[in-house]
Amino acid sequence: MLELRGLTIRTDCNTLVDDLPLDLAEGELTCLIGPSGCGKSSVVKWLAGVLAPELRVRGRAALDGRTATLPHRDIAYQPQQDTLFPWLTITENVGLGLEIRGLGRHAARDRVRGLLPSFGLQRHADAFPDQLSGGMRQRAAFLRAIVQETRVLLLDEPFSALDAVTRLAMQAWLIDRLAERPRAVLMVTHDLYEATRMADRVLVMAGGPGRIVADIPITTPRADRSEAALAEIRSTLRSMLLKDTS
Amino acid sequence: MANIRSSYPALVLACVFLGGWEGYVAITDASALVLPAPSDVLNGLWIERAAIGRHALATLAVACLGFGLSVVFAFAVSIALHFSGWLRRGLMPLLVASQTVPIVALAPLMVLWFGFGLLPKLLLVILVTFFPMLVSLMAGYASLPRPFRDQLVSMGATGWAVYRRAALPSARAHFFAGLRISATYAIVATIFAEYAGARQGLGIYILSAKNNFRADLVLSAVLVSAGLTLALLAAIRGAERATGRRYQRASDA
Repeated sequence: MLELRGLTIRTDCNTLVDDLPLDLAEGELTCLIGPSGCGKSSVVKWLAGVLAPELRVRGRAALDGRTATLPHRDIAYQPQQDTLFPWLTITENVGLGLEIRGLGRHAARDRVRGLLPSFGLQRHADAFPDQLSGGMRQRAAFLRAIVQETRVLLLDEPFSALDAVTRLAMQAWLIDRLAERPRAVLMVTHDLYEATRMADRVLVMAGGPGRIVADIPITTPRADRSEAALAEIRSTLRSMLLKDTS
Repeated sequence: MANIRSSYPALVLACVFLGGWEGYVAITDASALVLPAPSDVLNGLWIERAAIGRHALATLAVACLGFGLSVVFAFAVSIALHFSGWLRRGLMPLLVASQTVPIVALAPLMVLWFGFGLLPKLLLVILVTFFPMLVSLMAGYASLPRPFRDQLVSMGATGWAVYRRAALPSARAHFFAGLRISATYAIVATIFAEYAGARQGLGIYILSAKNNFRADLVLSAVLVSAGLTLALLAAIRGAERATGRRYQRASDA
């Protein structure tokens, strides 16, 4: 559905990403995994239309075969931090994307209020972000991305700010939320446990310059992904990642 | 209660200072023409209260009008500079240079160019108070964390929407800090403008008291001008509290 061809990102003296192709399919969660600094965040930022303007970029993105100008209204983006505005309530924060995409303020907030219960946030509708725990804030941030009902969802290390226990709970929870509506999800992570637990497909990126070195589908149903079932694929991924960093 | 306790040291020091002053005048028998005692100042203020009050009101009106215009002007210029890098690079050095012009030189020139009316005083107040507010606003806009901007841009927000929804709210605390700095200049600048030439106002009152060798009345007027500045600061603090409970979270967080 979303195709990316020949993405090259350069600084004045360095190539961050070199001639990178990427295909995302509807209903599929693709994890982009790689060592720090390999350019995986740059790829996602470019797709979100927020790459730093001083970087030089060549490449083409197409949605259903048609060239997409970025930022695109069918692509939602969740950066590493939850980026909830401290002066807006949870309802206002979550509805922000809808409002910017042209929905009226009241309509946006009504739709958000309807969705808060399924995200466990109904008691915090009028709370401010600093009154919520890290996990709750992250849920609100996910809801803000998901409520926009885009066909593509970009998640840049969405769990990196959470503690280990909350992270596990949030991973399972996000899988359930994403299953409610088919969309293409691209998630950046550097955690291969996270990638193998969640993804339908894992793309391994190597740095200097950034390129994709492996495309590994994970066909085991998520319910059957025990530690033992994933051991082999993890060890393959681990050796790939270690080879690249050594 | 906490407020009273926190201002306790200031009250003690002020009392020590004034008591020392009063005592010094009593012991040395200094001439009231040179150094009036604090009690003489208060006495002068009481006797002249009607005249000083009238002049103080005139000063306050000019200062508030000039300050208000200055706020509007600072906002307009800050938006222009925020959106135009060319203008920012072109105008900022000129604005900095404008701040190096001594007010002592400017005040009489303003009177020369624009007469004794309202205009020269307003211009002087704007010139003095505008810059701190502009700089605070610009610093405030720049304090918006990049991921917040990215979040909005990825949603398809225009430059204006990013400004209105993120840059402007995140500049709020900076703006009020600049506003407080400017407020302390506003009354002083007005008095200076009046000093250079006016029909009404504390500046002209101080000038005529000085010319009549009434040091006590000069100090009475100074006392009133300090009171006006404190009142202006209190009004700003009140406005900040009343309008932005939700924004206080932003600065606490």
